[in-house]
Amino acid sequence: MRMILAAAAVLILAALPVFAPWLQFVLTLAIAKGFAALGVAVLLRAGLISIGHAMFFAASAYGVAFLARAGVNDFAVLLILSVLTAALFGAVAGAFLVRYRAIFFAMLNLAVSMVFYALCAKLYGVTGGTDGMAVPIPGIFGVVLAEPAFKSVLFYLSLTLMVLVGFAVHRYLNSPLGHALSAVHTNEIRLEYLGIPVWAVLLIAYVVSAALAGLGGAIAGFAIGRVVPEFAFWTASGHLVLIAVLGGIGGVPGAFLGALFLELLHSAAVTVTDAWNLIVGVALIIVIMFMPQGFYGLLSRKEASSL
Amino acid sequence: MKLTNGLSALALVGLAASAPVAAQEKPASLGFGIFTFTSGPAAAYGMPGKNAADLMIEEINAKGGIEGVPVSATYVDEAQGAQGVIAEYRRLAGDAKNQVMIAALSSANCLALAPIAEQLEVPTVGWNCDTHQLLMDGKSKYVFRPNGNTVPEFIAYAIYLLERKPDVKTIAIINPDYAFGHDAAKIFTAALKALKPDVQVVAELFPKLGSPNYQTEISRLTTARPDVVFSNLWGADLENFVRQAAPRGLFTSSQVILALGETVLQRVPLPDGVIVGVLGDGWWMSPDAKANAETAKFAESYKARFGEYPVFPSIKMANTLIYVKAAYKAAMQKNGGKWPTRAELADAMKGSKVATLTGTTQTRADNDGLVDQIVGVTMKAPAQPFPVIGEMVRYKGDSLMPQAGQDPLAWISMLKPEFAKSLPKPGSYK
Repeated sequence: MRMILAAAAVLILAALPVFAPWLQFVLTLAIAKGFAALGVAVLLRAGLISIGHAMFFAASAYGVAFLARAGVNDFAVLLILSVLTAALFGAVAGAFLVRYRAIFFAMLNLAVSMVFYALCAKLYGVTGGTDGMAVPIPGIFGVVLAEPAFKSVLFYLSLTLMVLVGFAVHRYLNSPLGHALSAVHTNEIRLEYLGIPVWAVLLIAYVVSAALAGLGGAIAGFAIGRVVPEFAFWTASGHLVLIAVLGGIGGVPGAFLGALFLELLHSAAVTVTDAWNLIVGVALIIVIMFMPQGFYGLLSRKEASSL
Repeated sequence: MKLTNGLSALALVGLAASAPVAAQEKPASLGFGIFTFTSGPAAAYGMPGKNAADLMIEEINAKGGIEGVPVSATYVDEAQGAQGVIAEYRRLAGDAKNQVMIAALSSANCLALAPIAEQLEVPTVGWNCDTHQLLMDGKSKYVFRPNGNTVPEFIAYAIYLLERKPDVKTIAIINPDYAFGHDAAKIFTAALKALKPDVQVVAELFPKLGSPNYQTEISRLTTARPDVVFSNLWGADLENFVRQAAPRGLFTSSQVILALGETVLQRVPLPDGVIVGVLGDGWWMSPDAKANAETAKFAESYKARFGEYPVFPSIKMANTLIYVKAAYKAAMQKNGGKWPTRAELADAMKGSKVATLTGTTQTRADNDGLVDQIVGVTMKAPAQPFPVIGEMVRYKGDSLMPQAGQDPLAWISMLKPEFAKSLPKPGSYK
């Protein structure tokens, strides 16, 4: 039942841009943010809230821009290297951040990400300051595409990656390593007594989540065509946590559901009024009030009642 | 007007009969996507632009629209950031009714939209963004900026300052901490150093955009005792800065230059003698503007409707709409009265010279606009309750611009004191 639902959802997503071409950009962006929110959701499993994951999102997007400036002009190479950049950032930051819990973890993530933001905005000569850096259209295995074709390829590739990476993360969360995350949340000391190094469990999760955010950032960078420091601003990090909570932290589809909802809501609200922030805010309050489990909670609850 | 409309309608009918395939019907209405800040702190600058667009479009429609087609605008709030702006741009561009985009206010958004405009082939007119990077490669086909760029805007202040205070030794800079502030600091200092090499920069401060409190910066400025304080703060930041700096004597101890000072003339009591300007020629009380009946009418109806006279962002927006309107006229003259395509519109903008509310704007080969620069000092005027700009100078647009494709900073560093001597003097524009 769930598989059918998921397959139908993916098919609908794939078909939407055919009817409304401008939606393609919005959906690409939503999937990109979904990846980043999934990264946040992985850590939420262990009860750790990161208000700094926009840093990895931005690091990867800047990675694409810097590599492109250095002459790398292949889509696959750019994508892989930039995700590795984000993972590397994650490994370095995670090495000391995973020693902290609760509010200290959240705040230190925030602090590190704001240092990164400030560097991007201040190093005017290197990063272009607040004007940002351009991300040119790369070749795909040597084939140079026109802009509309490239954006279509990007969208359908993101959709494919959403399924593949989503499935991989699902497997990871159901592996011993993934279950160890929930165990960290419930009783960390017991986990140590079982001989499982909590530090390693969390560091792996942190690097995975940074890489996921990086994947989202690289896709967003390609879709937007420009990287600006705002990608790493704390409100962007907050946005990711919001998406993760909104979608429901129970499973992989939640992050993408939340991202789609928020992006589409935003797109609809800005066409109505200048007070679009108000509409988005009220809608979020309603969702949180009436769906404490998030959108994913709706699905899984139905599943439970049918048993 | 009616006659020409009738004639063009006749021509249209004739052409439609002779070449039914190529002829394009006039649409029932015409849409513009207009990008500006309508929320957040930057709305202090963006709303005057939106107000002007509202008023101007109303005036255009009252006269029968553009070439007989009524205009409607869809406003996009730039406060949603580059991602949202791009999404909206793509959505609006997808509708063939929206032939021209007037985007954007923020330089970062202009830079983000430029490649998309080229790819989607939508004529896009930057109504306010002025980073010199935007059109630097000279390859733009669809991106235009009839409003000039940061280079002439800030060189003008250096030249004016040296004419007014030739013995200046030390300067301090306080600009907002983003690309616009840093660019302005770089250009202003480079121009001053080229024209008067012994000038020293004693303080360079970049407070965060949107700071409510400037006491620390003002302390730094007053202890550094510079001859000149230059600032391109704007919006609420500028108002706050002026309110906090005036009681602490900054305006008496140093010659202050407020590059965007005109925008707050009607809101805060600026003392006399502050060097201010309008980043272009968009001063609604300039001699040229006063001589233009259309400008006077625009300023009065703006005041009647919004309770304030138009500030220069309003004029920039109004001039941009006039520029777009002129492009329609030129394109239809060129193609024999048919309704123009997007490509024909862009073609008509290339190299065009358009009379605006406050002067002319000449589009160069790289699509950058040449507009004159007006600089002056604040002084009391008996007719107005707020200070006005006096001792004005009007520098010709092309005299302060590097050639297309030239590196602006390299060009500035080659400026000679003789060059400044050859330009009009303060007070010459009456």
